[in-house]
Order: sequence, then C-alpha cells, then structure tokens
Amino acid sequence: MTVSDMIARLVGVGHKYETGPEIFKGITVDIEKGSFHFLTGPSGSGKSSLLRMLYLGLKPTWGNIQLFGEDTLKVTSSLLPLLRQKIGVVFQEFKLLDHLRVIDNVSLPLRVRGIESKRGQKHVQELLDWIGLGDCLKAYPPSLSGGQKQRVSIARAIITRPQLLLADEPTGNVDDDMAMKLLYLFEELNKMGTAVIIATHNQRILEKFPYSQLTIKEGSLLKLPMRKVAYE
Amino acid sequence: MNKRQDLPLKNDVAARFVPKIVALMVYVGTLCFVFTLFMTHTAHIWETQFTTQLSIEIPTFSDNASSALQERVVQFLNRTPGVQRVITVPQKEMENLFYSLLGEDANLELLPLPAVIDVTLDGKENVDIQNLESHLKNISPYLQIVDHRVWQNHVTNLIHTGVFLALIITLLILSAALATTTFAIRTSLLIHRQIIEVLSLIGATHSYIATQFQINVFKQGLIASSIGSFIAFLTFLGIKILLEKSGFSFMMSSSFFFQSICVFILSPFFTALSMMLAARLAVMKALRS
Repeated sequence: MTVSDMIARLVGVGHKYETGPEIFKGITVDIEKGSFHFLTGPSGSGKSSLLRMLYLGLKPTWGNIQLFGEDTLKVTSSLLPLLRQKIGVVFQEFKLLDHLRVIDNVSLPLRVRGIESKRGQKHVQELLDWIGLGDCLKAYPPSLSGGQKQRVSIARAIITRPQLLLADEPTGNVDDDMAMKLLYLFEELNKMGTAVIIATHNQRILEKFPYSQLTIKEGSLLKLPMRKVAYE
Repeated sequence: MNKRQDLPLKNDVAARFVPKIVALMVYVGTLCFVFTLFMTHTAHIWETQFTTQLSIEIPTFSDNASSALQERVVQFLNRTPGVQRVITVPQKEMENLFYSLLGEDANLELLPLPAVIDVTLDGKENVDIQNLESHLKNISPYLQIVDHRVWQNHVTNLIHTGVFLALIITLLILSAALATTTFAIRTSLLIHRQIIEVLSLIGATHSYIATQFQINVFKQGLIASSIGSFIAFLTFLGIKILLEKSGFSFMMSSSFFFQSICVFILSPFFTALSMMLAARLAVMKALRS
C-alpha cells in the first residue's frame, strides 16, 4: 500500500495527559482511502482522544501521525485549516453554535470554505429533510432535543463530503431506527469515497454492519478485519 | 465580505463600552487635530502677510524735518543692495492702527505718531543689518530699526511647537482608542473561545476568524466615531459663531473651514479603518500564539 492510498498513518503513537496514566502505548495503524472502521473499546479507553488526534485537536506525546501525506508534527498554522477542511467531525458533545439557526450551523463548513451558494443552501435543506429536521431549519440549537442536535452535528460534518469522517458516538442520542438510518447515510458517504471512522458502543450496529473494527484495549489498538456477513 | 456573523459579537460586554469610549476619543482627537490645522493656518498667515522684514521708525520733528528725513532715508534704502522694496506706511494707516489699539476715543493729536518705513529684503544678498543701522544712524541718530525677522521667528517657532504638541496629543488619543480596541478584542476572544475552537475545528482559517472580528469592529468604530465627529463638528461651529460675534471672524479663513470639514468627514473612516486593522492584528496574534 502506497502513501498516496493513505488518509492517515499512525506510527508508534502514544499519549499521556499531564495527570493520569498513558492512554496509548505506541499505536501503529493505517487508515486507507475509502475505508470504513468502527472504533470500539471500553469507556475511558481513549476512543475520543484518538479521534481528537486524527482531527488535529490533540498532539501525540510521542510517535508520528501522517494525515493526507503531511507530517502533523510539522504542520504550519496556515496548513492546519486546510487539513481540517478535508475532515468532517461529529463531536460527542455536538459543539453546535447556539446563536446560529440549524440551517446556518449546517452550512457553516461551506461558509468557512468560501463555497456557500444558493445551490449549497438547497443541498443543506435536502440533507436536513432527509435526516428528519426539515421542520427545524430556522430553529436554534437550545430548542432542540439531544437526538436532533446530534443529527444537526452529523449534517454539519458531512455537508462538504469530507475525505475523512470522524464520528464520536454519533448514534448515542437517537433511537435505533434513526441510528440505522444514519449508518446507511455514512455508508453512502463511504461509497462516494469518504473514509469513515465511527467510535461506538452500540452492539446492534456492530453486528449489523460488518466493517473492520479498531479496538482499543489497555493502550493498544487491535484491528479486526471486515466480517463477511450477508445483508438482510 | 460575508454579511452574516458566525460569532455573537454584538452582545459582548466590550461592545457596550468601546463605542462610547471611541466616540469620546474621536470627539477630543478631531478637535485637537482641527486645532492643529488652525495653528498651521495661523502660522501660514503670519509668514505670508508679514512680508516685510524690517521697519524704520522716524520720530516726529517740528516743521518739515520729518518729511525731509523720511525722503533721505527712502533714497538711501533704494540705493542699498539687497533691498527689494521700500514703502512708507501712510499716516492714515498708522492712525487706524493706533485707534484699534487705544480705542476710537483716543486723541491722536496729542500723540507724536512716528513715520514708519517698511523694508522688504530680496533675500538674495545677505544684508548686514548692523552695517545698515550704522549708516542710517549717520543720517540721523534718532532713527530706529526694528528687525521683524527676530520676533517672526519666535512666533513661528511657538506655533510650530503648538502644532507638534497638538499632533502628539492627537496621536496619543488615537493610540488610546486602538489600545482600547485591542483590549476589547482580547476580552472577546476569551468570551468566545469555545465558538472559535469549533470554527477552527471545522477548518476556519485565522484570517476567516479575524475577518469576523474586524467587520464588527469596523461597524462599531464607524458608528461611534461618526457620532464623536459630528458632536465635534457642532462644537467647532459653536466656536466659529462665537468668534464671529466677537469680531474675530478673520481667524477662520474659508480654506481652513473647508479643511476642517474634510477632517470631520474623514476622521470616522480613518478611525474605523485603524480600529479594524488593530482588531485584525490582535486576533491574528492571539490565534497564532
């Protein structure tokens, strides 16, 4: 596998917060273009920290991360936003902007990239319709339920069709039907070429979708290959 | 520039006090700058209106002695190299000058008014004033030479010092306005750090975030400084009316008035642009660190 086939390459990555034990003991893993992974592991094992490292929100204490062919330790402040623009992130705590309407929250990544247009706005509306938030376009996040906020967060992450989608417990606040619907959405996105990494505890999802699993266990990362399961 | 703001900057605490401070500073700063202009104009008037560099006073004598002496002095001066022009100040003009100083009721018949000869030097030849004085003293020991250049220089230096001080004060006021803006921006950055973090995580460049701040600061600065400048203009008009009523309307020439109006119109834009630049620099610096 060549470097050009890689979205991310982690080599001997370790991390230790100022207080507390080390959470990774030299993780080495490749994330290929167009791949789909579930990130699993017990609570506190470091799933969110690993995702943070991948979206350049946390620097590894040791080791090296290459993202889109760039060494993240040498990334300049001008290159950092350009790398982040290739990544869509669904945050566990949503991180929506409370003073902006739902439609504006979702179109924010388009604005940031300078590609907001009427066509883009129409696309935002279609996406929000599809995830069941067509009636909430002009609502403000504080008036939404946890599940609705989560869906807005997902819509914001995928609106730009990123090369890498990182989702931290994206189905934690929605019912099973919506969880499945969102997973199908991620699958569609993946088919269009986006590499997807989803941190989840949801066993039903793990059983239903046979993608490769990256499991964090005692600071190490185990990679379980994609299972061969026939679709129902 | 995007019209929509991604950061709720209008509701900031800083947004409430900065415009008031800026309006006050623009009020003081604009008046100070207009005062600078006034001083510059006054200096220019001094320099252009007082073209003569020397005056020669001939005391009043009985009979026609004064006239004869005046005639001799004029002839001598006309022959002197380096003298460009010699003009005898008319007696009527001298009387008007004294009336303006002593009042209309003054009885000038009791005062022996001297004859005054204004001398303009051509500036090409260096006239030795002491030598000229000694020659004139030979004609009459009662002749008095007054060298205007000495006190003209003193007055001009004084005006230039005033202009310099007024400019320094204007710059200090502008610096204070910019420092206030920078302080408010830093406060804003702290207040909105979570939103800024989200914007950064979804790929916003430092320039994009700085633009959000600078648009807001430009709008605030323009409105606040327009108010400050307008009140300063009203104050200026009040001073102008007062001067006119006091008989000093000559102090406000039309060119000075026109330039002052330009200052009142342009200062809000200049202030707003300076504040915008300060805001951008403050945000960029904070985001880089």
